[in-house]
Amino acid sequence: MARILFENASKRYPNGFVALENLNLEIKDKEFVVLLGPSGCGKSTTLNMIAGLEEVSEGNLFFDDETVNFTPPHHRDVAMVFQSYALYPHKTVYENIAFGLMMRKHPKDDIDRRVRDAAQRLEITHLLDRRPSQLSGGQRQRVALGRAMVRKPAVFLMDEPLSNLDAALRISMRAEIKELHRSMQTTFVYVTHDQAEALTLADRIVVMRNGLVQQIGTPDEIYEHPANTFVASFLGSPPINYLDGELVVQGDKVTFVRGETRLDFAPERGKKLVGQSGRKVKLGIRAEDVDERAEPSSGEVIAGTVTSVLPVGSDQFLGLKVEGEELFFRINKDLRHNYGDKIKLSANTGRLHVFDADTEASLIG
Amino acid sequence: MVKTTGGMAASLRRHFNYEERTAYLFIAPVMAVLGLVAVFPIAYSFYLSFFQIKLTRPNRTPFVWFDNYLELFSDELFWTAVFRTVTFTVISVTAITVLALLAALLLNEKFRGRRLVSTVLLIPWAIPYVADALMWKWIYDSGYGALNGLLYQLDFIDKYMVWLGDQNKTLPLIANAFVWKEVPLATILLLVSLKSIPQDLYQAARVDGAPLWQRFIHVTLPSMRTGFMLVIIYETMIAIRHFDLFFILTEGGPGTASHVLSWEIYVETFRNLSFGSGAAMSYLLALVTFALAFFIIRTLGRSV
Amino acid sequence: METVHQTPAGKSLAGKPVHTRGIDYKRRGEIFSWVHRGVILLGSLTILFIVLAPVAWLVSSSMQTEAEIVSVPPHWIPDQPTLKNFRAIFSAGDEDVTYETRSTQDPSSGNYIPSTARNLLPAMRNSFVVATLVVILNLLVGVPAAYAMAKIRFLGRTGSVYFILTTRVIPDIALVVPFFLVIKNLGLLDNIMSLVITYLAITVPFTVFILIQYFEGLPDELDKAARVDGCSRFQTLTKVYLPLALPSLVAVILFAFLTSWNEFLLALMFTQTAQSQTLPIVLASFTSDFTISFSFINAAGLLAIVPPVIVAIIFERYIVSGLTAGAVKG
Repeated sequence: MARILFENASKRYPNGFVALENLNLEIKDKEFVVLLGPSGCGKSTTLNMIAGLEEVSEGNLFFDDETVNFTPPHHRDVAMVFQSYALYPHKTVYENIAFGLMMRKHPKDDIDRRVRDAAQRLEITHLLDRRPSQLSGGQRQRVALGRAMVRKPAVFLMDEPLSNLDAALRISMRAEIKELHRSMQTTFVYVTHDQAEALTLADRIVVMRNGLVQQIGTPDEIYEHPANTFVASFLGSPPINYLDGELVVQGDKVTFVRGETRLDFAPERGKKLVGQSGRKVKLGIRAEDVDERAEPSSGEVIAGTVTSVLPVGSDQFLGLKVEGEELFFRINKDLRHNYGDKIKLSANTGRLHVFDADTEASLIG
Repeated sequence: MVKTTGGMAASLRRHFNYEERTAYLFIAPVMAVLGLVAVFPIAYSFYLSFFQIKLTRPNRTPFVWFDNYLELFSDELFWTAVFRTVTFTVISVTAITVLALLAALLLNEKFRGRRLVSTVLLIPWAIPYVADALMWKWIYDSGYGALNGLLYQLDFIDKYMVWLGDQNKTLPLIANAFVWKEVPLATILLLVSLKSIPQDLYQAARVDGAPLWQRFIHVTLPSMRTGFMLVIIYETMIAIRHFDLFFILTEGGPGTASHVLSWEIYVETFRNLSFGSGAAMSYLLALVTFALAFFIIRTLGRSV
Repeated sequence: METVHQTPAGKSLAGKPVHTRGIDYKRRGEIFSWVHRGVILLGSLTILFIVLAPVAWLVSSSMQTEAEIVSVPPHWIPDQPTLKNFRAIFSAGDEDVTYETRSTQDPSSGNYIPSTARNLLPAMRNSFVVATLVVILNLLVGVPAAYAMAKIRFLGRTGSVYFILTTRVIPDIALVVPFFLVIKNLGLLDNIMSLVITYLAITVPFTVFILIQYFEGLPDELDKAARVDGCSRFQTLTKVYLPLALPSLVAVILFAFLTSWNEFLLALMFTQTAQSQTLPIVLASFTSDFTISFSFINAAGLLAIVPPVIVAIIFERYIVSGLTAGAVKG
C-alpha cells in the first residue's frame, strides 16, 4: 500500500554539490524507518525527495509501483512534520490542522470531526482557537503533529521534530510518537541526528554520511554488528573505544595484540577471522562490554591506569589509559578507584568488534 | 547647557547616571532641532488659526475664536477640496499597492537581469517631482504631446485631444504621474516584507496540498500584512499632503478639478494672503494625518 | 487495534490511476517552468518599458529642434538630434533676456527661452549647497541621537523615539504658515539657510529611524567590549560603531541629499529670487512663463534628472541593505 523504493537515486545541485549518491532503499509498508546521521549527510534531502519538495536528479523513486519522480507534493499522499513546525502564523490552531484537508476538498463536517478527534488525541482541544504565537514549543509541536495526522496519509514524514524541545519533553514525546505509529499503522520515515532516538523508535535504521548510506538494519543489527567504524562510533553512548593493533592467528585461536595487551576472541567471533594473521586492525570495545572481576583470565585482560572517575547514578565511568590510549568504560560502583590506580578489567570477548585499520570496514560482519 | 548652582548640578548628577547623561547629551541636538522646526510650527499655527490675519492689513489681526474653522466648514470650496483629496488618495494608493505588489513578486524571483530591473525601478523615485511633472506635462500636452501622438498613430483617436485640461481626466492623470514616482519605494517595502517569509511555511503548504495560487492566498498575503499596512499608511499620508504635482501640472485647475487641500491652503495663504484661515486649514490637515498615523500604529502593533 | 489508515477508494498512493503518471507530471513541470520564465520576462520588460519610456521620450525631446519637436505625430527619434538646447542652458547667463532679445537668443528653438533661464545654473548651485549642508547636519545631529536611542537605556527612550517619528507625520504645508511669518520677521526670507533648517525637520526623523534600525542590528557586546577597553561613549560611537554602520550611513546620505535636492513646496515658499532659489523652483518657473520653448524645457528637465539618478544608481546596493540591516537576509 505504501511502499517506498529508491532506485539508484542521486541528488546533484547546479553548483556541483552532491547531496545524495546512489541511494538504494526500500521502505516497507507500515515500517518505522529512521534516517540517522550527522548534519549534511543527506538525510533531510532524502526526506524531502519522498515529500516531493526536492527533485530526484538521477535514478527513480517509486511509491508502490509508480514512478513519482515528478509528482508535486500536493499530489502525493504524504504528510510532514517540520523541524521548526512551520505552523501558519495567521491561522488558528484549528485552521492550521484543517488546512491540508481543506486543500483536498474534504466536506466541512468531515474536516471538523477529524480535527477534533486529532485534537482530543493530542490533548490540545482547549487550544483550538489560539494562534501559534500564543503556544509553547511543546504545544506547537503537537499542533504540527495534528496537522499531519489528520490527513491520514500513506506516509508520515518527520524532520527532526524533537530537536527544539527540552530534554524531558523529548523523552516523553518519543514514547508518544512510537504510540502514534502503532495506532496509525502507517509508514513512518523519521530523520534525526540523535542516535538514542533512532534506537528507541526505529524498526530499521538507515545510517548515512556525506550522501552515502553506511548501513541499513534493525537497531539491534546496527548496534551489535556495525558495518564500519563510523556506524560503530555513531551509535552508543558513550561512544565505542578503539585500539589499533594486529591480529595473530594460531590454529583456531585468534588474538588481538597491542603492546602488552592480548585479547583472545571468543570462538564465534574468532572463526570469522581465521586467515587474517598479521592484519592491522582497529579493535572496538563498547564501554559497557567490560567487567570488574577479582581475577580476569589471561586472554581477557584490559589493563591500564585510571585517568578519571565519573560517578553516574548507578554506575561509574572510568577513564583508563591503556597502551597509551585513553579509553572510557562503564562499570558498577562496587569498587572505588582513584586517579593513578593501576587496574585490570575483564573484556567480554564475545562482543569485540574488529575493523580493518585502513578501510575501517568491519571484518566480522 | 543651563548654568546651575552647585547644588542643582550636584542633584542632577545624582539623579541621572553617566549613561543617561551621555544619552541626553547625544539626543539634545535632535530634540532641539525638531522642537524648533516641528513642534513650534504646529503650536504656532494652532495659535494663529484663532486670528484673522490678512497680510494686506498687517496691523489689524482681530482674535476671532473659532471663526476661521467655522467658515471653513461652511465653505463649499473647502469641501470640494476635501473630496478631491480623498478621490486622489484612494485612486493613487490603490494603484500603488497593487503595482508594487506585482513588482515585488517579480523581484523576489531569481533571474538574470534582476539587478538591472531593480536599478531601473529606482529611477522614478530618484527624480524630483518637478521633473516628473514637466515630463508628464509634456507627454499630456494637447498640442504636441506623446500621449496624443501615440494614440493617434495607433489609430485609437482621430485627432489630438485635451488631456489635463479635461475636468474628467485631470485627477487620474495627475494620479498617474504620482503613482509612477511612488511605486519604487512601495515595492522595496513590500519586497522586504515578502523576503521575510520563512521558506518552510511554503513547504508545509505544498505538502498540505496547496497549489501555487492557494499558497499565495494562504501564506504569502497573510504574512505580508504588516508590509501592506506600512505601504498603505505611508502612501496615504504622502498622497494627502502632496502639492508639487498639483502646482506644476494644473495649478489646481481646470476650474476646481484638481483642487486638493494642499492647493487650497496655498491659495488661501499666498494668494488670498489670509494667514489665519490658512493656518486653520493646515492645522486640520495635520490633525487628520496624526489621527491616521495613530490609527495605523495601533493596527500594526495589534496584528503581530 | 483500530486501523486508522485508509487510502481513498479506487486510488493508488498518489491519488491517480496508475498508468500515465510519469509523463503527466513531467510534462506539466516542464510547461510550468516555461510559463514561469515567460512571465518573468514579460514582467521585466513591462517594468523596463513603463519606467524608461517616458524618460527616453524626455531625452529624445531635449535633443530635438523646436521645429521638429512640434511635429504631429511626434518624431520618436529625432531626425536631426542636436545639443543646442543644452548649450542654450549653459550660455543663458551671458546676456540679458528681454522681449526683444529672447527670440534671437536660442537658435535651436528658434523661439523663446524663459526669462529665468539664466537662473538655472545658479539654482543648481544653490540646490547643491543646501543639500550638502543638510546632509552634514543630518549626520552630525542624527548619528549620536540614533546611537543613544539604540544602545543606551535611559529614561524617556521609547518616548523619544515615538516623538521623533511623529514629527514627520506633520505635513510640510503645516510648517509653511508659521515658518513664513517667523522667517519674514527675521528678515531671512530669501536666504538658503532658511531652507537648510526646514529641510532638517523633514530629513532628520527618517535619518534617525534608519540609523536606529541599523544600530540595533549591531551586537551589543561590541559596546561593552569597547567600554571595558576604556572608551567613552563617544569614542565607542566613533571608533567602533560608525565604521560598521557604513551601509546605513550611505543610505542616510542618499536620502537626505535626494530629499533636499528634490524638495519643492518649502523652497517655493521661502525663496523669492535667484539668490536662493533651488533647481526645482527655477524649473517650475519655466512652465508659468509665456510662450515657452518645449525643447528647452525638456533639456532643462533632463539636466535636473541626471544628478539624482546617477547618485541613486551608484548607491543602489546600499539603499536596500542600509534599510534592511537587522531584518532578514534576502
